[in-house]
Amino acid sequence: MKLLRRYTMYLLMTVPIVALFFYFHTLPALTGMYYSFTNWSGFGSIQWVGLKNFIGLFQDPQVMHSYLFTLEFAAVTTILVNVISLLIALALNAKIFLSKTFKAIFFMPYVLGTLVVSYIFNYLFSNVIPTIATQFHWTALTQNLLGTQYAWLGIVIVACWQGAAFNTILYLAGLQTIPEDVYEAAMIDGASAWRRFWGVTFPLIAPFFTINMVLAAKTYLQVFDQIVALTNGGPGNLTQSVSFLIYTNGFSGGELAYQSANAVVFLLLLLIVALVQLRFLQRREVQL
Amino acid sequence: MKSLKRVTSTMMTLSLLVPTMLSTYHVASANSVTITLLQNKPEVVNEWNTLIKNFEKSHPGITVKQVNPPNIDLALQADVAKGQVPDLVAMGDDATYISMAKHGIFTSWQGRKELKLVAPAYVKMLENSVGNPTPYALPYTINAVPVLYNVTLMKKYHVAIPKTWNQLIADAQKIKKAGGTAFYNGWKDSWTLAVPWNALTTNNEPANFQHLLVTGKASFIKSDKVAASDMITLAKYGQANEFGTDYNDANSGFANGKGVFYLQGTWVLPVLRADNPKVKIGSFVFPATNNPKKTKMVSGVDSLLAVTNSGDTAKEQAAQTFVDFLLSKTNGGNYANIAGAFSTVRGVKAKDPAIAGLQTYIDAGRVIDFDDHYYPAAMAAGNQYESSLQGSLSTQQSVTSILKSLDTMYQSAIAHQ
Repeated sequence: MKLLRRYTMYLLMTVPIVALFFYFHTLPALTGMYYSFTNWSGFGSIQWVGLKNFIGLFQDPQVMHSYLFTLEFAAVTTILVNVISLLIALALNAKIFLSKTFKAIFFMPYVLGTLVVSYIFNYLFSNVIPTIATQFHWTALTQNLLGTQYAWLGIVIVACWQGAAFNTILYLAGLQTIPEDVYEAAMIDGASAWRRFWGVTFPLIAPFFTINMVLAAKTYLQVFDQIVALTNGGPGNLTQSVSFLIYTNGFSGGELAYQSANAVVFLLLLLIVALVQLRFLQRREVQL
Repeated sequence: MKSLKRVTSTMMTLSLLVPTMLSTYHVASANSVTITLLQNKPEVVNEWNTLIKNFEKSHPGITVKQVNPPNIDLALQADVAKGQVPDLVAMGDDATYISMAKHGIFTSWQGRKELKLVAPAYVKMLENSVGNPTPYALPYTINAVPVLYNVTLMKKYHVAIPKTWNQLIADAQKIKKAGGTAFYNGWKDSWTLAVPWNALTTNNEPANFQHLLVTGKASFIKSDKVAASDMITLAKYGQANEFGTDYNDANSGFANGKGVFYLQGTWVLPVLRADNPKVKIGSFVFPATNNPKKTKMVSGVDSLLAVTNSGDTAKEQAAQTFVDFLLSKTNGGNYANIAGAFSTVRGVKAKDPAIAGLQTYIDAGRVIDFDDHYYPAAMAAGNQYESSLQGSLSTQQSVTSILKSLDTMYQSAIAHQ
């Protein structure tokens, strides 16, 4: 009887969540997969078209460009975010004055909404920077960066500024798992600070490096909010990411089925990237 | 086991309670009707509320609820997908309206008295854009694409109102030489490129082009060379940061005297006056050609009124009663005046001095609809073709390359239809 009671308890905790997850997550995903084989535009008649949408995707220069942009953006941003957050984490982990306050300050950007941050940066890029640049005759900066072919740089800056906070916390957690005595041993052996980092610190926080790389890559492959608020995909379609394209063309462009097919392809790509990363990076992890 | 029973019984009670609560919420007094109005213009929410308040006073049996979502295309599509359509829709003559009308979402006004109250040319325009001679909507207000100008700056640079394209560019040169900015462009928001683009294309392409567009036989490279090369010229006389200035910044820049001409539709007037109440604005028809007698003004339906097929006769009738109220000369005139538009209600003239001069073009029927109302949905919706123009112009591409990109997009959009 007691066992049954406990069993009920577990069921009560898990079943509602599973049901909700299935209803709000799995079911829409399956419906989307079904739509990807049809010609539905969001309302009206619906017809089965087989693989037509998928074939169309690979011949569509706009779709291909969005994949190229997304992969390039994700690669650059993932690397930059990890380098920056590892540096910040190392600095914050040192026993410096007010280190707890600095930790709080560096975590702030993560608490702010991405859209809010992006709209503020949009204002900075559009108004503040060009005005200052004109005053000081820095001709290269008098143009709004977001209206030039370097608009992607603006998105990278905003993504790094905000994204580094979260990865910093994970690295900090990682750094705190390293026992003091390993460093003492390394120092007795006469290892330099550089050698201590590459020989001791980095291998020991490798699991955190793996998870950070995977999480960052996943986040930046799905970049959306920053683009909506900063460039809206422009100029032209230079900064249209895959998620952005799926949303704009799928909902307001009357291509719901076609972009559902795009979403299915994108899902496969995300899965492959995550699996490859895990395989590759886990091999380099060491355990104490 | 006991606990499981208790939970089950609680759940069942809850599941019984919820629908009861919902149904009490729905029940209202027997002879009153509530209708939902979905409208797409954030600038005129207050004006709609005033209209609704006056209407409810004179029609005590009907309550009107205004909905003004940030993205009407998405909201309406979601409503239709859910099967919960609003009763009355006030929106532009755009890709969403056209596809909804084609799918039979709206009721026809055929044979009703309201059709006789509004300008027939615009009823026809709406029918043409749907491609079906059935009036699924009534035109309520009309916008126009003139060139707006800053009266004070025109005097400062001693330029006269241009009647031809060459005169416009000569003026622009003169202003540039004197150190001013001729056109203040908000081209970071790609849709703003549609305004000059439509004025230039419609006036310079073969007369049957809009028909060709619908039948899938149009070619931009054959028909729009003049328009593309004129767009390149316009870009030369814009401010240095024209692709880095968005619509809002351009509005406040122009309203505060940063440029002489502004290539925007009449709908922007309320916003400009909010940015700078003291600004003096004038307008002239966009001189898209060198023959002033031939130049037509691009003008489309700014707000149309469409009653949806809800299957609920009481609601449809209530919506029609509200439309009758809106079509009175006073209400139509006041609404158009505040929205910076022209009224289609017969006998109503524009009161706003900034645009009153354009009324003769409308009265004489020297108007032409926006080309992009005839572009396939996948090209017109979501700023697709405007983004292509923005990309080509910001990277200083050639006329051929601008038009080739549009042709590629057009062909692919037709293939997905």
